[in-house]
Amino acid sequence: MSHVLAVLEQRDGSLRKVSHEVVTGARRLADALGGEVHALVLGAGAVSGADAAGRYGADKVITATNAGFAQYAPEGCARAVAERAKGGAYGAVVLAASAQGKDLAPRVAAKLGAPLAADVTDLGVDGGSVVVIRPVFAGKALLKVKVTASPAVVSLRPNVFTPVERPKAGTAETTAVAGDAGRVVVKGIKAAAGGALDVAEAPIVVAGGRGLKEPANFKLLEELAQAFGGKAAVGASRAVVDAGWRPHGDQVGQTGKTVSPSLYIAVGISGAIQHLAGMRTAKVIVAINKDKDAPIFKVADYGIVGDLFEIVPQLTEAVRRLTSA
Amino acid sequence: MKIAVCIKRVADSETRVKIAADGKSLDEAGVKFILNPYDEFAVEEALQRKDKAGSGEVVVIACGPPSSQETIRTALAMGADRGVLLEAPGVPADGLAVARALAAELKDGGYDLILFGKMAIDDYNQQVGPMVAELLDLPCVTCVAHLTIDGGKGTAEREVEGGMEEVEFPLPAVLTVDKGLNEPRYPALKGIMAAKKKPLEVKPAALGTAGLEILALTPPPERKEGRIVGEGAAAVPALLQLLREEAKVL
Amino acid sequence: MIPAQYQPPLPLDRLILKDGAEGAGDRMELDVLFVGAGPAGLAGAIELARLAKTDPAVGELNIGVLEKAEALGEHSLSGAVVNPRGLRELFPNLKDADFPFRAPVTKESVYLLTAGGQVRLPTPPTMKNHGYYIASICEIVRWLGHKAEELGVNIFTGFPAAALLTAGNRVTGVRTQAAGLGRDGQPLSSYQAPNDLTAKVTALSEGTRGMLTQAWLEWQRIGSQNPQIFALGVKEIWETKQPLDRVIHTLGWPLPSDAFGGSFCYPLEPHLVALGIVVGLDYSSAALDVHVLLQRLKQHPLFRATLEGGEMVEWGAKTIPEGGYYALAARRSGDGVVLVGDAAGFVDVPSLKGIHYAIQSGIYAARAIFAALKAGDASGARLAEYDRMVDGSYIAQDLYTTRNMRLAFKDGFTLGGLKAGLMTLTGGRFPGGRIAMHKDAEVARRPNAAEPFTPDAKLTFSKVDAVFKAGNATRDTIPTHLLVGQDVTTEAARFYTHLCPAGVYEEVDGKLRVNAPNCVDCKATDVVGPRWTPREGGSGPKYKRM
Repeated sequence: MSHVLAVLEQRDGSLRKVSHEVVTGARRLADALGGEVHALVLGAGAVSGADAAGRYGADKVITATNAGFAQYAPEGCARAVAERAKGGAYGAVVLAASAQGKDLAPRVAAKLGAPLAADVTDLGVDGGSVVVIRPVFAGKALLKVKVTASPAVVSLRPNVFTPVERPKAGTAETTAVAGDAGRVVVKGIKAAAGGALDVAEAPIVVAGGRGLKEPANFKLLEELAQAFGGKAAVGASRAVVDAGWRPHGDQVGQTGKTVSPSLYIAVGISGAIQHLAGMRTAKVIVAINKDKDAPIFKVADYGIVGDLFEIVPQLTEAVRRLTSA
Repeated sequence: MKIAVCIKRVADSETRVKIAADGKSLDEAGVKFILNPYDEFAVEEALQRKDKAGSGEVVVIACGPPSSQETIRTALAMGADRGVLLEAPGVPADGLAVARALAAELKDGGYDLILFGKMAIDDYNQQVGPMVAELLDLPCVTCVAHLTIDGGKGTAEREVEGGMEEVEFPLPAVLTVDKGLNEPRYPALKGIMAAKKKPLEVKPAALGTAGLEILALTPPPERKEGRIVGEGAAAVPALLQLLREEAKVL
Repeated sequence: MIPAQYQPPLPLDRLILKDGAEGAGDRMELDVLFVGAGPAGLAGAIELARLAKTDPAVGELNIGVLEKAEALGEHSLSGAVVNPRGLRELFPNLKDADFPFRAPVTKESVYLLTAGGQVRLPTPPTMKNHGYYIASICEIVRWLGHKAEELGVNIFTGFPAAALLTAGNRVTGVRTQAAGLGRDGQPLSSYQAPNDLTAKVTALSEGTRGMLTQAWLEWQRIGSQNPQIFALGVKEIWETKQPLDRVIHTLGWPLPSDAFGGSFCYPLEPHLVALGIVVGLDYSSAALDVHVLLQRLKQHPLFRATLEGGEMVEWGAKTIPEGGYYALAARRSGDGVVLVGDAAGFVDVPSLKGIHYAIQSGIYAARAIFAALKAGDASGARLAEYDRMVDGSYIAQDLYTTRNMRLAFKDGFTLGGLKAGLMTLTGGRFPGGRIAMHKDAEVARRPNAAEPFTPDAKLTFSKVDAVFKAGNATRDTIPTHLLVGQDVTTEAARFYTHLCPAGVYEEVDGKLRVNAPNCVDCKATDVVGPRWTPREGGSGPKYKRM
């Protein structure tokens, strides 16, 4: 019987939502290994929302405190997690592959002399060993990997392990961690300047074409982009950039340059011009166009046929409601 | 300033992925291999800092098959002083094994900085840098997008969800670097010629036992046929639901 | 509509510079420089390096090869069925099995196509390929590159040559193209200044429609009996479900009867097929679109049978010099310079062969250059030995035999075919006499309405999709490299739109729009449209197995 240590994440004293995914993933492993899920969160004091871990299946929630843990303390946290992991018959240690998790997981693994299966999109147990699936080659292939050493340190790709409620009447404990934050000191986080995200880097791109009829109408797309809360950039087809409606920096690549956002929303773009090649590798493509025969619908995963001037404002409203939830 | 840069030979990002006959690896026929793009930023940073300090050495180290020598030569053409290849039959799947081999090589080097690209574009493992730091008991900051160094101290900025994290650390240190840290130089003609004469040592990699085993490499699931969700604004709720639950992008 | 009216002249003042002119960053001195890492340039570098090593009086030579593509082979494209003769002479100790060929030609068929059917023709003697090999020129180039580097040749990829450096009448080297310029021509933070490379001898191995080759010939006022003429080839590589076991050539449909050309289909592997269509650029209809012709060709039952259910993995285009013997420049050597390969026009159209001539010409150039270096004399008089070697070899002999075959077709397919047949039977002697030709740009074009064509994105593709498959990832903010003439009319704009296989030109509301980053350096534009100049290194296609 092996337990699973789920390492949660907090910011400013509150549990980050990605932690629910971590517990869900840990629960899946623990069920297969026949053990418990112990959720561990590190902070300067109590962490609000930590009890949610129980709702998602943690048998025990441990808050480990140290004055140096108000901000993420790479060395202090790694030491604390590794010590907990060494002490408790854990078959696996699960973290999120978030910005913090990607930093913390390798340190923990090295301290444990254990391998790290990073950024996984699926996991299970086969013959007593943890087996994971992870995307490689920018998602062009999937690698199935068996962890042959113990414990298995695993980090989960965010937004994949949809949290599943598995309430456990678990226990909560708080324990103080000795030592300091370490040599690497996080001074703070500067909020992202509200400035525009680069179209080539943004996880969500809302792109407009000639269907918008005039430059002023791009305001509709700017509002939709803003509704996604800082994750979206506004792009433009070359036709519209060449016509001078939008600056060149907004142009979505087209001669083979791959812009690969997770979500690409093409508004008023027919797809007949040289736009398609550049956006093709987006993970999910949504097209909004009044012409049901527009070539863009052949490439899009989801499409809405109709008047963009009616659809886009509704979409913006709906996205706003979603992101503020 | 004495700086080591750990680099990797990777398949070009435009590679059309074909699975080899063994079902576990990439079919390399016709694949173009390049210096990992994130490592270019690391090499450039090393070169700039050595130049700024006025003296020093930039050493590039790779762990991989003999063909990695070409990749080392690319870094030498950019201006690095010498290279080391820790030869292994392939690049191990276990990042900790690679870290062990690199740490053994770096241990007594007396480096002020040990730089890595934040991740390799083939496996996206993002782990070897911090693991090497742990094995060498050196401070480490990952995904550095902005860097200032003042004597024995450094300040870095790294991207986190919703903003930039500011971090202070002492030297010597291990850093993994992100795109945008600098603008990597193209090798100059003279650099390309000079690279041939620079020292490149080849030794076996001390990997230790691997803790990860590759079971299979498979293509991703087929992209499902797209569909029209509906007409007009009325289709918006259905679209959002699909984006959340089916496509999982929101 | 006569294309020449809208073509700006070659900008000689930019292409011919005095050595020492301002504007370069670094300067590098070499013994010999080859401009272009294709089969001719690499073969020349290899032969020269070997000759130098075997002669203690010379020892090692500092040999450089400049290549504009980011990596070897990325701008190379050909059919190809290769005559191994050139490689055998370059590597006398190797066997055919050691060469980077894919498969020997076993079966072959020639067809005359009609819209719905085909007629099998007996293979013309000029096209018999038994004993030859199916190959990818990209693979040959990469293989030659390794051999060259093993011999200590310096290959510089990502460095296009933009101008010749001269001292008096002598060519002293080249200046490379600057990199890191913005759309407006202003330097960006990634700016890299041009470099000057000087050498005792510069071999221009630029390939088809070489820019510096044209500049040098014009500057030195060297003519040829006929102007050089060109064909445009558009090619695709397919992974197929159905196997192909033979080399196929076709004539006729979908080419109009007054256009010269045909198609080819070669199995690199039973399930990896290279196919393409080649059309002479002297076609008369302004609406002819070679890329579209290839797409239509694939719909013909003969091709559809093989391609259905398969996947197009690469696409590309390139022109081919077709003028043959009478289009060869009066001399291909001068003070400090020689012309080799396709740049010199060593292509035999009836047999569709050029690679082994390129290699052979590179070998002769190397021998002449070596002798010149030993004598300490790189003058035109000394380097003329190269011309004598070529003129006394099978290169000139083969081209002479077929000297009028392509030219005969200027009278149309049927009459041309008859004449060509007679020439074959008589070894070129009848009908004799040189057939005069026009420059392609001087041929009048009939404005026609184009037949609409909608690609299905499974078997047939748009130019946009095609360019993507060429691996073209040129940065969008690059300054345009194409020199457009003044006052381009709507008619001319439409002609360019159909001409360019990569969709660089579009006619929008009567005006010409130029999408320069699409360019795959095929040079068709340079022949009958806006002038081509090099862009920063690494721009353009990234062919893998073309």
